[in-house]
Amino acid sequence: MRARAENKLVFWLFLAPALFAFVMVILVPFGLGVWYSFTNWSSSPRTGAGIAFVGLDNFVRSFRDPSFLYSFTITTAYTIVNVALVNVVAFALALLVTSAIRFRNFYRAGFFVPNLIGGLILGYIWQFIFNNAIPSLGELVGIAAWSEPANLMLARSPTAILAIVIAGTWQYAGYIMVIYVAALENVPVELHEAAQIDGASPWQRLRAVTLPMVSQAFTITLFLTLVNSFKQFDTNTSLTNGGPSAMFMGKPIFGTELLAMNIYNTAFISNDLAMGQARAVIFFLVIALISTAQVRANKKREIEL
Amino acid sequence: MKKAFAVLVALALVAGLMIGCKAAPATLTLAQGKPEIDAMLKAYAAEWGKANGIEVTIKSIGGSSNISLGQQLKADYAAGDMPDIFGINGPEDYKEWQAIVADLSAEKWVAKTSVAFTYEGKVYGFPVAVEGWGMAYNKDLLDKAGIDPATLNSFGAYEAAFAKLDGMKAELGVDSVVSMAAAADMGWVTAHHNFNSLLSNGLPYGDTSVADALIAGKVDATRLAEYADWVELLFKYADKKVLTTGNYDSQVGAFATGKAVFLHQGNWTDPNMAQANATFAMGFAPHGSMKAVTDGIFVSAPSFYVVNSESKNKKAALKFLEDLALTEAGAKYMVQEAGMIPAFAGISLNPAGQLSKSVQQWSAAGKVYSWNQYLFSGDFRDKTLAPIYNQFANGAIDKAQFIALMTDAFVSRK
Repeated sequence: MRARAENKLVFWLFLAPALFAFVMVILVPFGLGVWYSFTNWSSSPRTGAGIAFVGLDNFVRSFRDPSFLYSFTITTAYTIVNVALVNVVAFALALLVTSAIRFRNFYRAGFFVPNLIGGLILGYIWQFIFNNAIPSLGELVGIAAWSEPANLMLARSPTAILAIVIAGTWQYAGYIMVIYVAALENVPVELHEAAQIDGASPWQRLRAVTLPMVSQAFTITLFLTLVNSFKQFDTNTSLTNGGPSAMFMGKPIFGTELLAMNIYNTAFISNDLAMGQARAVIFFLVIALISTAQVRANKKREIEL
Repeated sequence: MKKAFAVLVALALVAGLMIGCKAAPATLTLAQGKPEIDAMLKAYAAEWGKANGIEVTIKSIGGSSNISLGQQLKADYAAGDMPDIFGINGPEDYKEWQAIVADLSAEKWVAKTSVAFTYEGKVYGFPVAVEGWGMAYNKDLLDKAGIDPATLNSFGAYEAAFAKLDGMKAELGVDSVVSMAAAADMGWVTAHHNFNSLLSNGLPYGDTSVADALIAGKVDATRLAEYADWVELLFKYADKKVLTTGNYDSQVGAFATGKAVFLHQGNWTDPNMAQANATFAMGFAPHGSMKAVTDGIFVSAPSFYVVNSESKNKKAALKFLEDLALTEAGAKYMVQEAGMIPAFAGISLNPAGQLSKSVQQWSAAGKVYSWNQYLFSGDFRDKTLAPIYNQFANGAIDKAQFIALMTDAFVSRK
């Protein structure tokens, strides 16, 4: 009896530091954040104004704000395109570097390197490419359309979103590729050999052998790309900073202001910290819902050997 | 015995820590929004700190729109790390920090300046410098085209001059007539500087009637229409690439390298001109936002240092500002090192930059209009007005829509 009590005590003592840290830096701030979203909290010291409870006002106003609705829409669109592109590119690269081509280890390292560059710097690099390098190249090879100011990718919001996708894919595909490479190398060679003997074409082998065997990797990569696309902020900031503007619901708004940036701008440019917090809570719920659904759906497809 | 020793060591350590805390040198932190004077201010602060035994930290935030001084201050305040002295840009910023801004009315330098930041009769802000903008012109190119900059003071004059210059682009070796930036995140050029033409051009200095009416949601359609003509004219003759996707560097660069005749910026570009070795003669001409003649440029002391009243180093902060305004070393730093136009009487030094000199001349002649854009919140200008200008620049909307959207923005302003 005494030994059990002691065991329990030791268990809790060992757990205490981690538990304390978890409560202090995760649970408490999260709870406070949710609480702030129901108040009129502001960071600036306005005289005589304390924090007052305002109920769902921040949420209601958010859903009436065209800029928030627009950010939601384009972030969804951006996420779909980005998840698709990153995964297709990453999978193609993974197939390439696991095939028998020469210098494949060099390629592996090369494709991964962009992932080591910070998103902010990368955004500025691509801004230079889109705004200066491509027009100069156009002049050099004599394609006037490339240097036409109206044709610049960052001059129109749909193409500017696409520019973020391109920069994002360039950065992230290498990382996802590594996960695919690990999965591809774990596919038993016997299965491929058996399929080959049965006369399966490379395409059939890819569909019937490789894809089901790496479905575990898909669970991870889809989750990572989905969450990362939804949370896109750094490249968005440095590449477009929300511009160019567009019209939505009769209001001029920032055309490439993704959700994370919208939250930031609401909190720090409009000085509406509580509203920014409310949007962050909505953001959290949406990401949590979508990613749980995605992981569940993917899990069903996984094959255990 | 061993245990006792350990306890002793621990105690000694703790005591050492406590003494260490007490012996920490006096510090002073200043956060300001002008990255172009960062190095000079740091050098001056180091000198001053050595003389006074205070360790001065200078934080310079700004220059790009990614994080502004205001945002940084909010983060610092939330973190309990508010600087002792920080920069504000006028009444909207002041209201933001009202609760912690110290009253400076009793300071000695107050008598030496007429442009300190005052609110309800009390002095709160130390004017950093006098600044101004108009249409910066390249005099060499204007001479070549046979245009006298003194005649540029109304919409009609600019319309004719721009058309003439546009026809001589190859001859003058320029890409465009005007270097103007109107990307969505360059709102401080469009929705701050250019916007002020609507608010104060042609009005007596300090007259806020137009801004007051707009804040009340009343729009003077004639004034707005004339202003829209001016915006359209600027956008029409601007380099489209700089206009729609350019940043500060590409905008100022086009002018400094002689690729544009006019620049829509202020005298703070002087250091950039020096860096780019721009040797041509330059100066400021008034904005042509009205059909009537408006013979003056926009001049003000737009940014102020305020002292954090909750600061423990308030005394040092007050002395820092006093020495900056009243000592020779302070004057030397402001004028010769940082190249600013001092806001205080009794300083005989002159800044070296041509554009700063031009501002001084307009100012000395009394031909000045106020800066009224700060009567509107940064939020309204950045998030509501800037996208409208950007749409107009992109060609997504025409002038009539521009006027309609601007009108709507003022009427529906919360």
